[in-house]
Amino acid sequence: MTFSLDALGARILDGGRLTADEALWLYREAPTMWLGRMADAVRRRKHPHGVVTYIIDRNVNYTNVCVARCNFCAFYRTVGHAEGYVLGFDEIHRKIDETMALGGNQLLLQGGHNPDLPLAWYEDLFRGIKAKYPDFKLHALSPPEILHIAKTSKLPVPEVVTRLVAVGLDSVPGGGAEILVDRVRKLLNCYSKATADEWLDVMREVHKAGLRTTATMMYGTVETDEERLEHMLRLRALQDETGGFTAFITWSYQPEHTERGGEEATGVDYLRTLAIARLVLDNFDNLQASWVTQGGKVGQLSLAFGANDMGSVMIEENVVRAAGAEYCMDEYEVVRNIENAGFTASRRTMHYEHLGTPVFRQREVPRVLALATARQEGDQSVPAELVNYEAKSAAGKRQRGQAPPSPVA
Amino acid sequence: MSVDAISSIRPAVIEAARAGRRLEAADVRELAAVTDILAVGALADDARRARHGAATSFVRVHVLDLALLATWTAPPAGAREVRLAGQPASPVAAVDAVQRAKAIADGLPLRGFVLADVLRLGGAPLLAELKSAGLDEIALVEPGADAAAAVQTARDAGLGVRVIGAIACPSDRAGWILEARALVDAVGGIEAVAPLADAADPTTPTTGFDDVRQVALARLAFDAVPRVQVDWRRHGPKLAQVALTVGADDLDLVAADDDTSRGTRRAPLEEIRRNITAAGLTPVERDGRFASLAG
Repeated sequence: MTFSLDALGARILDGGRLTADEALWLYREAPTMWLGRMADAVRRRKHPHGVVTYIIDRNVNYTNVCVARCNFCAFYRTVGHAEGYVLGFDEIHRKIDETMALGGNQLLLQGGHNPDLPLAWYEDLFRGIKAKYPDFKLHALSPPEILHIAKTSKLPVPEVVTRLVAVGLDSVPGGGAEILVDRVRKLLNCYSKATADEWLDVMREVHKAGLRTTATMMYGTVETDEERLEHMLRLRALQDETGGFTAFITWSYQPEHTERGGEEATGVDYLRTLAIARLVLDNFDNLQASWVTQGGKVGQLSLAFGANDMGSVMIEENVVRAAGAEYCMDEYEVVRNIENAGFTASRRTMHYEHLGTPVFRQREVPRVLALATARQEGDQSVPAELVNYEAKSAAGKRQRGQAPPSPVA
Repeated sequence: MSVDAISSIRPAVIEAARAGRRLEAADVRELAAVTDILAVGALADDARRARHGAATSFVRVHVLDLALLATWTAPPAGAREVRLAGQPASPVAAVDAVQRAKAIADGLPLRGFVLADVLRLGGAPLLAELKSAGLDEIALVEPGADAAAAVQTARDAGLGVRVIGAIACPSDRAGWILEARALVDAVGGIEAVAPLADAADPTTPTTGFDDVRQVALARLAFDAVPRVQVDWRRHGPKLAQVALTVGADDLDLVAADDDTSRGTRRAPLEEIRRNITAAGLTPVERDGRFASLAG
């Protein structure tokens, strides 16, 4: 099927919607500069004042123990593995203190599907954080984590969401989406953690509960171009229904140290994917740049290919670092890149409310030239409070001194 | 609707670029100030396609670091050129390095040194000694007040000088391009311009916008230089690949050792071909004398 670039360009500039076939043709055939310039025009229409936002927050992974075993992940450890960890409540509080010292206002809190963390552990964690830091925000628990908690606690998803919101969940990150096509999810061994419908259903429930969420896409494994676009179209449909997504973030699969291996998609592929996302996701206001996977230069170039947000300064990152990506941008560097591209930089909240000028222009802030990790290497300490929560795995029970499972006759 | 309708570049400049006419200094400075870098990039892409089509050359280079003499090995089978990297400490060290490199170069072209470094170290006599020792070409000349005379001195000594480039990032990027273009006009015979440089302060690297704009400007401004070159090793696959979509057509310093230990598809040769193809272009390997190895 062939279309006219001029005709599609005119429709895009008029604010018209692209069909699946049109989007696929543009993704495959349109010159890279054309795609970028159209995405930039749409970005300019949605954000006419030349402001590019960013957030100061910290990516904290509360546990790396995971039963999902996605074959594209280099971060997880199996239950009972010597390198498996769960962060203690006091460790997470320390990370919040450090984040606030740098002007941060939220944690992006995600972790593995750890069978030994019951819903009560999450409730106590959130409750404790909100008691100590009432204004601090929790952007936490991707849809597959919420599903996992629902399964292990034998509760329906809406009830889990209600209980988490009651103790302080502020918004939900769009992690674990990968590609929302079940053929792909089966090949990536992430179908069992959440099917495409399940991921979308959790988001629907969270939106119904009044929370906003982000949406993501990890591309570059086994999916086809059609499947990348199917992913975007499913997000667009849910956004039409609920309006609950604040932003879309896409990044390329990082292959180092993963079971799947292979090679990373290229920088041009990233910029084209970002640009087509801006054109297809016409009902999303915000697109983030993924400098943490693409590096600062292509990260900045994202601002010419449809992105209006530089994402987070992160402070800490563990997941893509485990898979080989080790880029770092502190607030100074994020702002320098935004301004160098001709935009005004503005800090924001998770709801994209502007918070004003950079923190480092208001007071002295130390430069951060490398992202922190969850723990110091070799730290295998076990938080004391874990004994208060019933483990489900045999390894977890042994570690906590809880009754072993009954022997099988 | 044509994308020209949303361009912030003056139609007269677009027309001059599309017609292949030489851009005036004021046009170059105007383009250097445009924040709509994709508009400049699109013009540069048109200009590169008018000259080269989709063909994108790359060269596999066996690098010998002057600071690591003890690690030198003979070039692997895939090497098309041997390149001396780094600054020699003395004239004797420079000649010694060339002799050692020549002894293992196995007939491949031997290039090395920044022209100004050699002249500072030993002037015209050292250039002659390096030629006698086996050096074929000076790797890079930077534009500057005495650059034209320096190029002539090197060529009088029998050394090729065919690449103009920048080592440190110039504060006036458009000014650098205009100065380099004047040098091309003065000396002729320049095959490639390498417009990207490293920032002086590693904690404040050049930005993606700066680099894309500089590559695009180079393509549009250097009407008398066939190739716009990006260093694959120094600038990395992501930026180097993007540069190919905004005017660059030649990738320098691709690893010669086709290491397949991380799998065939991640070996350097396959990676470079994959990146060029993924940019919608056609990879063409070349030798160290800028001759295509296709066919």
